[in-house]
Amino acid sequence: MLEKKLLDILVCPETKGPLVYKTALNELWSPEAGLAYAVKDDIPVLIAADARSLSEDELKELNKS
Amino acid sequence: MTEPKVFFGREEVSASEKTARVHTVFDSVASRYDVMNDFMSLGTHRVLKRMVVESAALRQGSAVLDAAGGTGDIARLVHQAVGPSGSVTCFDINNSMLQEGRNRSIDAGCMDIDFVLADAQQLPFHDTQFDAVTIGFGLRNVADQLRALSEFRRVLRPGGRLVVLDFSKPINPGVRLAFGAFKWTWPLVGNVVAGSSRPYEYLVESIETHPSQAVLALMLRDCGFNDVRYDNLLGGIAALHWGTR
Repeated sequence: MLEKKLLDILVCPETKGPLVYKTALNELWSPEAGLAYAVKDDIPVLIAADARSLSEDELKELNKS
Repeated sequence: MTEPKVFFGREEVSASEKTARVHTVFDSVASRYDVMNDFMSLGTHRVLKRMVVESAALRQGSAVLDAAGGTGDIARLVHQAVGPSGSVTCFDINNSMLQEGRNRSIDAGCMDIDFVLADAQQLPFHDTQFDAVTIGFGLRNVADQLRALSEFRRVLRPGGRLVVLDFSKPINPGVRLAFGAFKWTWPLVGNVVAGSSRPYEYLVESIETHPSQAVLALMLRDCGFNDVRYDNLLGGIAALHWGTR
């Protein structure tokens, strides 16, 4: 679980756009880059090369919310 | 298009190759990192790191980013300086170093330091978030140093301060000779203490190819920092640079 005060200062390293914290998956999603960044042992891994690409369904889900 | 070349030690390699190789170096040394630092600096690295914190003009409540913070020793000193109303964020590109840093911080009772795995060349932080950015013995390992310095400036608030501690060029010929010889014992000791000499050969070579005091000061100015100054430490074996956004 990431704390709000940390989430407040984080952006996507690639686009500098906002990140959405998906608590159930423990991932930080960047809608602009279409990337999901993992959080491992409470440490966000904010390196674009290590991120996974969001699927079309996941991107749709982001647009709805 | 071919990627521009940078130094990995004395070898010229692409920026991405340097990033990958530095990764391997730090993966292999994380657990013995501070023991080796004590030996290589004859205990002085702790004093030098204190000077980083003193030069950062911190106050109670300051928000500080410790860049390439590795095992977190600067972050913990900063944590003391900014108090419970301040905040400390420590990032590194290497997971082994950062895990070591987090475990040690928990052991030291600094529970509220935030750790983030990130690349200095592409920071995952909002603009103007920090009152100060510190980097101790980290800039040397970054492939594109101008890009990293620009990123540090971006995340600093106007008036915020960057402090860079790294090896530099000894100014006194005697110090230059003595340090020049002494540092070649590091790979030998590294082999015994940390089980591998290669990371320490890289370290020695990277010190030799790192920009001089004056060049690094120019790089800070080129990236838009104001009031750029530096102090020689240990006769220029290391230098402390600082600049204001």
